[in-house]
Amino acid sequence: MVKKFFRGLKGSYIALILLFLYSPIAVMIAFSFNAGKSRAKWEGFSFKWYAELFNNSAIMEALKVTLIVAAIATVVSVILGTLGAIGIHASRKGYATTLLNLSYLPMTMPDIVTGVSLMMMFGFVAGFVKIERGMFTMILAHITFDTPYVLFSVMPKLKQMDPNTYEAALDLGCKPMKALWKVIIPEISPGIITGALLALTMSLDDFVISYFTTEKTQNLSILVYSAAKRGVKPDIYALSTIMFLTVLALLIIVNKRSTLEDIG
Amino acid sequence: MVEDTRLIELKGISKSFGTTQVLKNIDLYIRRKEFVTLLGPSGCGKTTMLRIIGGFETQDEGKLIFDGKDLSGVPPYKRRVNTVFQKYALFTHMNVYDNVAFGLKLKKPEELLSGVSNPTRKQVKEEINRRVTRMLKLVKMDAYAKRSVDSLSGGQQQRIAIARALVNEPEVLLLDEPLGALDLKLRREMQLELKTMQQQLGITFIYVTHDQEEALTMSDTIVVMNGGEIQQIGDGKSIYDEPKNAFVANFIGDSNILDAVMVQDYEVFAAGRSFECVDEGFAPNEPVDMVVRPEDIMIVGEDVGMLPGEVKSVLFKGVHYEMFVEAAGFNWKVHSTSMYPVGSRVGLSVVPSNIHIMHKMKEQTAPAAEESK
Amino acid sequence: MKRSYFSAPYAVWMVVFTIFPIVFVGLYAITTRRADGNDLYTGLANIGNIFGNEGTYMKVLWRSLSLALQCTAICLLLGYPCAYFLASKDFAKHKTLYVLILLPMWMNFLLRTYASMGLLERNGVINSIVTALGFKRLELIGTQGAVLYGMVYNYLPFMILPIHTVLKKMDQRVIEAAQDLGANPVRVFYKVTLPLSIPGIISGITMVFMPSVTTFAISGLLGSGNFMLIGDVIETQFMSANNWNFGSALSLFMTVLILISIGLLNRMDKSKTGNGGGKW
Repeated sequence: MVKKFFRGLKGSYIALILLFLYSPIAVMIAFSFNAGKSRAKWEGFSFKWYAELFNNSAIMEALKVTLIVAAIATVVSVILGTLGAIGIHASRKGYATTLLNLSYLPMTMPDIVTGVSLMMMFGFVAGFVKIERGMFTMILAHITFDTPYVLFSVMPKLKQMDPNTYEAALDLGCKPMKALWKVIIPEISPGIITGALLALTMSLDDFVISYFTTEKTQNLSILVYSAAKRGVKPDIYALSTIMFLTVLALLIIVNKRSTLEDIG
Repeated sequence: MVEDTRLIELKGISKSFGTTQVLKNIDLYIRRKEFVTLLGPSGCGKTTMLRIIGGFETQDEGKLIFDGKDLSGVPPYKRRVNTVFQKYALFTHMNVYDNVAFGLKLKKPEELLSGVSNPTRKQVKEEINRRVTRMLKLVKMDAYAKRSVDSLSGGQQQRIAIARALVNEPEVLLLDEPLGALDLKLRREMQLELKTMQQQLGITFIYVTHDQEEALTMSDTIVVMNGGEIQQIGDGKSIYDEPKNAFVANFIGDSNILDAVMVQDYEVFAAGRSFECVDEGFAPNEPVDMVVRPEDIMIVGEDVGMLPGEVKSVLFKGVHYEMFVEAAGFNWKVHSTSMYPVGSRVGLSVVPSNIHIMHKMKEQTAPAAEESK
Repeated sequence: MKRSYFSAPYAVWMVVFTIFPIVFVGLYAITTRRADGNDLYTGLANIGNIFGNEGTYMKVLWRSLSLALQCTAICLLLGYPCAYFLASKDFAKHKTLYVLILLPMWMNFLLRTYASMGLLERNGVINSIVTALGFKRLELIGTQGAVLYGMVYNYLPFMILPIHTVLKKMDQRVIEAAQDLGANPVRVFYKVTLPLSIPGIISGITMVFMPSVTTFAISGLLGSGNFMLIGDVIETQFMSANNWNFGSALSLFMTVLILISIGLLNRMDKSKTGNGGGKW
């Protein structure tokens, strides 16, 4: 009886926290389907704002930028990060530690400082080479903050692997590159895929660093920011709902994968 | 049977990691179809030696001759040698069949099917299938071909690792403590199986272990190593019966090792009295180690034995009792099938041929010499 | 080719895009751009400006620190019980609950802030409920409370995650041993569970305090720009005031401040776990 009471108490507390975390999101999703312009009064269900969203060329352009940046940044960071992890794993300790500490740096530095520091460097380089702060610089910045996440997803898989795996492949007749491609990469592929999904999520999600590394080109986050400064609008609700659901889907996949690994 | 041709020769091999020298000027040859065990405590250099033969490490000095050719600088994938690794290093992303077929799939079709000109893909596939199936049968794992390697027990993974290496028909199989992770009963079974397999296939095995019993069970030749140096080479019986120094005596089987002085040929002085022995050729009054195996000491009546003493402790070891008997200021380890209770007065006796005299080991020469003065 | 060379492209990338930019922050922080367009070495003058200017920036800095501290404290008070309950036997099996708590963490913080705006705004959901109940409309948006709410809302999951991880990993036998030795549940909590969860609390504090002290946009959107925080000042220096030198000085100052606090927190963590929990 007492036990049940305490369980109920704990349950209600967790429920309250969930309510706190989800009510704004729930309201946002609900009113993105509102027929009227109000964000407080329900005027009937409609896809009106979604339709408007897809007809808004600025939003569609920002969507395109977001997707291109995320795709390229993910591919490049997966290659850089995976090779980096393999290299660090095979290196002597001093060099490996230095590089790992360096990898923590962009993860611990405040986003705003990462953003402005890259902005200044791009500004400096622009004095010599014709380079505009836009999609290209945004991609460079995204690769920079994505890659450590790939690295740290792959590293544990390398550590878990039998230390003789690479040598076993050589022993059975693989040349070094083939051993890497046929044995090491498949062995660590769960880590690579998790890293890729993380990089994709981070990239789709980023606002602060993108904000400082581009000038005219907007991604969705920047677009939401400039729209928010002018007040809340239901079409941005619709956009946010789509973005939220996309990230949600990606995270469910990441989570499914890692729980599957825990079991296996 | 072991052939009298030298397949592998190590000539003056040295290797250091950083400032520690793990192999010091090693000379060794291994004959065709021989089962050689590198035996020694951890850190003695045995695994490094194996890795040099496998091509995973390069020696700093010396030569590695394989079938008459210098192998130095030849990468592992070009050596006719395969390895069974300590924790097996199976490829977890492949099933059992694909693990075993891995090496065959890398071979050129002409290599797989000699005599067939321009073999088709189908022929190659069938040949691989034939060899893999035969090998899985040999290790009694043919029922598990489609299983993932993660689902196998340690013993089963072990068999797959052996099959994966043997299917490539290497001239030499290197085994790095392959039974280390198995329980005692399984170890004993696998020891016998490995020995049978080696004899059936007629392949040279180089086996690394720190387990003396394993070495004695399987090997044609045992190479005892310590501190990066070879201590003794010989078959199990000669190493057990005639250990060259106190380290070997102590590492292989149990021993009583006493500081002694070789008075003259066939007479040694230890534990306060002279013993008759069968050794000769030492300098007069040379300080030596006297080694007596616990099972070679007989317990007799206090008045008839060579040394009177008192039983200090008794342990039942299954087949025999292990007793410590204090006599002439030394704690003698004695194995006997009959038990003498603690406190009983007994006499110890040993026949001359069971007393082994060996030179003092280099490192210990100075202090031991002083002691005997 | 040695496998260790594979890390070369990564190493080069990290140096070019992490170390070099930081060097720029340093260089800009110690120079001033003159009217003729030349840069002049001015040493610590820009850093000094943070403390000068009749305390304008000190006020902002103080507000940032105080809001971040309040936010961290509230997150700890709200988050610890939540993490504790989720890790308890009653809910340990409900993995979905835990995932639900962490999900917003991965959602763009702008979207979360934008969603909160909808809740708090003058004609927002809360006010429409309030007025429907016959009360006077509340002024929610544009207050310091709204900014604090926004910060807590954004960073709460970052507090729950590390605490939950530590509690979950905690050896249940330690707790059973304490119970076995006669400690009642409250004592078990204060003497065993809480001291053992300090590493989680510390990384939680780090993960909340760090981003909240440099946050920007939240105060602009929820505080209607009435409560400038240090992140907003940095943003202004780069995006509108065009004073990169002072902006860099502020960035450098904040980074150093944060690195020092992480260092201190880590030391606390070590000394606490080093002597087996100590007294708390």
